[in-house]
Amino acid sequence: MNRRIANVNGWTIGAVLIITLLFVPNLSIVTGIFTPASENWGHIREFMLLNYIKSSLTLVFFTAIFTVAIGLSLAWLIAQYDFPLRNFMKWSLILPLSIPPFIGAYTYHGILNYTGIIQKTLRNHFDVSVNQAYFDIMNVPGAIFIYTIFLYPYVYMITRIFLSNQAASLVESARTLGKGPMEIFLKVIVPISRISVIGGVSLVILEVLNDYGVVKYFGIQTFSTAIFQTWFGLGDLDSSIKLAACLMGIVIFILVIEWILRGGKKYSFSSTKLRPLPLVKLTGKKAALATAYTLVIFTIAFLIPVLQLLDWVVLTFGKVPMEEVLTYTKNSIIVAGTAASLIIFFSLVIGNFSRITKHKFAKILPKLTVLGYSIPGAVIAVAVVTTFIAIDRYLAPVYLFLGLDSELVLSVSLVMLISAYIIRFFAIGYNSIESGYTKIGTDFRDASRMLGVSSLRTFFKIDIPMMKGAIISGFILTFVDILKEIPLTLILRPFNYDTLATKAFQYASDEKIMEASQASLLIVGVSAIAIFVFNKLLGEGRE
Amino acid sequence: MFIDIQNMSFSYSNSPANAVEDFTLTINKGEIISILGRSGSGKSTILRLIAGLEMPKGGSFSLGDKTLFNNHIFVQPEKRGIGMVFQDYALFPHMSVQDNVLFGLPKMSRSNKLKRVEEVLELVELEGYEKRYPHQLSGGQQQRVALARAIAPQPELILLDEPFSNLDTELLVKIREDLRRILKKANITAIFVTHNQNDAHVLADRIVKIKDGVIDQVGRPCDLLGSSTDEKGDIELLPEKELVSV
Ligand SMILES: Nc1ncnc2c1ncn2[C@@H]1O[C@H](COP(=O)(O)OP(=O)(O)OP(=O)(O)O)[C@@H](O)[C@H]1O
Ligand SMILES: [Mg+2]
Repeated sequence: MNRRIANVNGWTIGAVLIITLLFVPNLSIVTGIFTPASENWGHIREFMLLNYIKSSLTLVFFTAIFTVAIGLSLAWLIAQYDFPLRNFMKWSLILPLSIPPFIGAYTYHGILNYTGIIQKTLRNHFDVSVNQAYFDIMNVPGAIFIYTIFLYPYVYMITRIFLSNQAASLVESARTLGKGPMEIFLKVIVPISRISVIGGVSLVILEVLNDYGVVKYFGIQTFSTAIFQTWFGLGDLDSSIKLAACLMGIVIFILVIEWILRGGKKYSFSSTKLRPLPLVKLTGKKAALATAYTLVIFTIAFLIPVLQLLDWVVLTFGKVPMEEVLTYTKNSIIVAGTAASLIIFFSLVIGNFSRITKHKFAKILPKLTVLGYSIPGAVIAVAVVTTFIAIDRYLAPVYLFLGLDSELVLSVSLVMLISAYIIRFFAIGYNSIESGYTKIGTDFRDASRMLGVSSLRTFFKIDIPMMKGAIISGFILTFVDILKEIPLTLILRPFNYDTLATKAFQYASDEKIMEASQASLLIVGVSAIAIFVFNKLLGEGRE
Repeated sequence: MFIDIQNMSFSYSNSPANAVEDFTLTINKGEIISILGRSGSGKSTILRLIAGLEMPKGGSFSLGDKTLFNNHIFVQPEKRGIGMVFQDYALFPHMSVQDNVLFGLPKMSRSNKLKRVEEVLELVELEGYEKRYPHQLSGGQQQRVALARAIAPQPELILLDEPFSNLDTELLVKIREDLRRILKKANITAIFVTHNQNDAHVLADRIVKIKDGVIDQVGRPCDLLGSSTDEKGDIELLPEKELVSV
């Protein structure tokens, strides 16, 4: 083989192709900035833009503060102390992640509103009527509450793993220097967990900026809702592209701040000689306090909403026809399954390319695709639609030739939705696959090739079987995330195509909260199982 | 010459310094060469270059009448017909001993393949271990499976990276002698890497001493006995051809 092309092989071609396809739609946002502004845009910029920025940043700011407070304190408690129910809480405190915030939002609204369980009990049993204002959560503080209780696990999870694995020697030496627990927390734990806290909270922030379900349901104007409103309400795609570009600007700004705060460091769990932190046993009042604190959080963030959903499912059983439930469950499984499979397949190709190509660019290029996870769903929706309409326009002669009587073929099909999922969730699958590749290294591959076996056969006979764990976990993680997804699915699905998430959202939006419970509980159940299994597996490997 | 390596140079992409510089060596068919050097001197890198797992910056290499690389040509490792025993064995963990050895065998009938497996396992004294998985073997046994796997396809050249590092003394002496016998009997040319003078002297027909990626000395074991640049400090680099008379 020619020396110069020896490194350019099928893997390179495949990887570059996939990366281009994943990345190019996002460029349409960039080009959108430069298209001439419409009349609407002038109006939006003058009267609305500041409001969007203000409400988005308010939500982000307070959610960040509260999730850090709760996530870090829980992480510290679990990592350092032993108290009743600690082992149960260690895993259970992650479970709120299985409740998509929009489901949590309508559930809490249902609990607190006039016909909800609390007010009804007060009225019927205690003859107390309350001021509705105290029970209204459909506002900015309410949204912050919802985000906080369902997103704090990001901070908790990352920080707890970090603290249990890394803090032992530091805490011990601080203790031998005669420092008390409070002092250790403030002077040792807070500074050393900075990097993992920032890692966790930046995930929270990205989720908040990405969210459409909660703010739409609560009627709060943010970038996400504004993008869709401009697009569908005003029919002005150009202006919504411009809004999307602004939102992208905020995201980039936040990522840069994150990078600066981390000092360019990545939170890594250096794997050598992990020594778990020896637990301090709490007794008496302190133990009771610790148990109570974790129990309160768990109850509010998981137990109450799940029990309420269960209650509604029982109450409405049979009201929603079984066939309907089956149809949208099937739809969910089909789209999420297809998208997750493709993500894993693409990840395997790109990961292998990155692993075997010795050029620096092979290490950097895949990072581009991972950006998708930072890009809010609303932005991706705009980017994908713009791209697909352009493709359809381009392919119009082909459609004509094939005898199709429509000009829009791809942009009204599932292909568009699945592409959007792949762009948005690629990072989740890729991370799993990449760490799988890192774990097996290149030695087995080299050994196979030294036995005269081709690169492709090696891939199927050696790499894939050895990566089974990473492939399965990557698949399930992406599958679950897609199952919960709201804005992309609502916007990009073909007409009348419903999934569990869209159905739940629609019922809730139509004030049919109880009917939404079935679909919601299915989502929560599947996610909870997946989250639980993963953290269990992950944790056992580590501890 | 059966093997002809000229001015092979290489640097890893993440460091500017050459890990191997101007490596020149010719080897006769059936000869056993030992590459001797301290940790980090570039021994494994040289084997990887010969194997085709890394692409040299320059130089040329031919095996028999085939050119495997020069300024224009680069033959992929799976097309070279070179066998290799890795420093950490790289036995496929999801395959039994038998499947590991079967994996590299060229197309032939199943019964012939199984016969070959039996043959090589006998050679390394692991009969009866066919069904075991790598994690059920001791370090020394794993090493012997790796050896059997590399020998099985009857490569023209076999590369061994620290083949004895995991054996106890008794087994070491035995395996070392067996290996020499096996290689000589099959007339397989071999290059093996070690940092142990003893291994090199017992097993090799010729020893190549490496220091910082550069050939320091080349010669027959008896000629090099006891001479080590580490003790004498800097020694003038001797061009390989002047020293060698095999
Ligand atoms: N993948 C790599 N990337 C960058 N540098 C490397 C890589 N592998 C090895 N090196 C460097 O190249 C030099 C030679 O390494 P090599 O592995 O060939 O040494 P060695 O002689 O086999 O050592 P040992 O006896 O410890 O196995 C060392 O300085 C090493 O740090
Ligand atoms: Mg080595």
